[in-house]
Amino acid sequence: MRPARLISPLRAVAAAVAGAVLFVPAPAVAAAPQEPASAGTGVSISPVDLDGPAVSTVKVTVRNGGPQRMRSLKVSFAGPAGWAVQPSVRAVDGSLAPGASADATFRIQVPEKRPGFVIRTFTATATYRGGDGGGTATGTRAERSGTPRASLSAAYNNVAITDESATRAGDYDGGGNSFSAQKLAAVGLTPGAKVDALGAELTWPDVPAGTKDNVASSGQAVALGGKGGKGGKLVFLGSGVTSAATGSATVYYTDGSSGTGTFGFPNWSFDPVTAHGATLVKSTDGRNRQDGYGNADVKYSVFAHSVPLDPAKTVEFVVLPSNANVHIFDMAIAP
Amino acid sequence: MPEIPAVSRRLLLGGTLATGALAAGIGSAGSASAAPAAASPAASGVSDASAAAPGRRPGQKSMINVPFEVHRTVRVAVIALGNRGSGMTPGWSAVPGCVVTAVCDIRADRAKRTADQLVSKGKPRPAEYGGSADSYADMLERDDIDLVYIATPWEFHYEQGKAALLAGKHVVVELPVATELRELWDLVDTSERTRKNLMLSENCSYGRNELAMLKMAHEGLFGDVTNGHGGYLHDLRALLFSDTYYTDSWRRLWHTRSTASFYAMHGLAPVAAAMDINRGDRMTVLRATATEPKGLADYRERFVPKSHPSWRETYINGDLVTCLIDTARGRVIRAEHDVSSPRPYSRINSLAGSRGIFEDYAGVSSAGGGRIYVEPDHSGHSWRAFDAYRKEFDHWLWKKIGDDAANNGGHGGMDYVLQWRTVQLMRAGLVPDIDVYDSAAWCAPVPLSVMSLADKGRPVAIPDFTRGGWVNLRSGLDSRTTEMPPVS
Repeated sequence: MRPARLISPLRAVAAAVAGAVLFVPAPAVAAAPQEPASAGTGVSISPVDLDGPAVSTVKVTVRNGGPQRMRSLKVSFAGPAGWAVQPSVRAVDGSLAPGASADATFRIQVPEKRPGFVIRTFTATATYRGGDGGGTATGTRAERSGTPRASLSAAYNNVAITDESATRAGDYDGGGNSFSAQKLAAVGLTPGAKVDALGAELTWPDVPAGTKDNVASSGQAVALGGKGGKGGKLVFLGSGVTSAATGSATVYYTDGSSGTGTFGFPNWSFDPVTAHGATLVKSTDGRNRQDGYGNADVKYSVFAHSVPLDPAKTVEFVVLPSNANVHIFDMAIAP
Repeated sequence: MPEIPAVSRRLLLGGTLATGALAAGIGSAGSASAAPAAASPAASGVSDASAAAPGRRPGQKSMINVPFEVHRTVRVAVIALGNRGSGMTPGWSAVPGCVVTAVCDIRADRAKRTADQLVSKGKPRPAEYGGSADSYADMLERDDIDLVYIATPWEFHYEQGKAALLAGKHVVVELPVATELRELWDLVDTSERTRKNLMLSENCSYGRNELAMLKMAHEGLFGDVTNGHGGYLHDLRALLFSDTYYTDSWRRLWHTRSTASFYAMHGLAPVAAAMDINRGDRMTVLRATATEPKGLADYRERFVPKSHPSWRETYINGDLVTCLIDTARGRVIRAEHDVSSPRPYSRINSLAGSRGIFEDYAGVSSAGGGRIYVEPDHSGHSWRAFDAYRKEFDHWLWKKIGDDAANNGGHGGMDYVLQWRTVQLMRAGLVPDIDVYDSAAWCAPVPLSVMSLADKGRPVAIPDFTRGGWVNLRSGLDSRTTEMPPVS
């Protein structure tokens, strides 16, 4: 079998890869902290120059960590959604000896840096025959810039609660509707009230009615403020819009590692209260519409849900789901 | 990493993603996400009579990524001083480091009037040319001209643009740069042979919303961009029948002799930029439809005296000419042209993808009013205002010279931004934002729409004016912030 012929000469590389590169035998497991694999096929991505707008060059290195020669190797590379990559796939002729590696270069269109905290995730996937027999392996690289929001309240971007005498500021659901402050108070949800759910002590938004009081989740990076630390799970207090209020939250730990978990909330009114595995916290009667309080015979609810944490690690910040149907009033660590 | 070299004629004609091997061993394998493999035009029912790419002459090379040579001062000559030319000339003279050295119009009095106006603004008096259709050729013989700006009626653009290139000048040509495929190819070839840049004067490519839309697309806010819509929808009926606005009624007469989508590039070009056409994607196939030509005749019937010369004319250009354009990466562009129907102005200017959509001209205000809906920022099936996004994604050109643009240029400042940027590119020795390949591609729907309409809307292949160079990612209008060189 002829050896692989590559742009860069074949060369052995150390199994260890510096920086934020993560070796993950595909498919990655949700909710599990991403750790470097110690053996098998390695896929690593070089640092990406994010000083855009520009076309940057990225090198993907595939190392054959298996006992067999690696054949039919193809390497694909992708950046964040919508970023153009040239080409999206490269093929490697020939084969790769055990312990050897091959480099494939790609060009990617990098936009101008956005202000605030941003995580750009890049993914390279190798498909092959032979090698470690796995058939496919994936490497990811996450590049960060900026600083996370100091607390959830600093990320408030939506008005969910209004007074029944002044409802027009509310727009929880995109249709101008909102929770009634009076009806929430009737079930104990007053500004700053403590809410115990799923083992966590949460706090109802401590802001006046008619002001921004929750986060419509769109990938914001948020630190836990004074509520950081260690625990077994991260609990979210919130509710959903539409029946598709689900997504992944990624927890970043102080040691630089991360883990991802999926959760969801039922729609605030019409879904079964256990939809997406959520737990009902409180229900209120009716809602505030643009023309005042109404729909008194319908329940509007708040729920709790959680994602698992690595109890040995300290949480630094959380990247909320990229789904604005998920509305979050608070989050806290539970044992 | 080396760029992928130009590809074979077979690939040019086939419209497949050209992925020539880069080096021994590793090559791009292509993928479904990168480029749906296109069958050859003939095999897919697409007329490929339009697709043939002429070969380059020995020594002739691409102009992709070829920068301007550095000019300490950019010396501009203007051909034609009607509405457009006379309106743009003060803008050129206002850009730091730019001077108008010569002006020309077949009507010599216009040249004198423009020269007088420049002097009245404290500018040097330009040389004046005029009096005949060939006056511009005399002007091109001057050696104190770096850039020629052409604003004549459409039928003269090709001839004058080519002449300017052959005279060793860079050229900015108003829309369209040419109206026939062979002319477009000839301009590409002439640019490549003379090593001079030819640029479509597409001011809308520098529109504030358009540039923000481009930057948002590159950020990925729309996800994978799948479709875009643009055009030129402008009720020109009164102007077309005016005896003074368009010299010799040249623009109305086009409606008597061509079925083309004359001017859709105002909306097409910004969408093409957002899709990185010629910079990783390319337009491959065009199909056109046209409504009956009712608007001009109806207007004439109601508002134009029977003694007017227009009553001897028959209009054949459809009121709404729509071009549907496929790209190599599977996107679809809709480009419309309608200047003969009663309607408020719009360039449509819409872009959509797997994660959201932007629509310009969606409000009822005179400013248009963009609206947007992008996940994950938005949910609930309701539009949001564009304002915050335009602020965040405002192009550096507008942040830097927006105030100057408002004071010096028409069309909301777009004209001046184009002029300022063109001069900056030349003075700093940078690669043009819009090159001859963009210019040719954006103007190709003019002849291609005629071909498609003549064949009952059959798809026609769009030539690859880059001759395979389109596969390489490269920068364009989404540029990095740079300074205008100081004026000594």
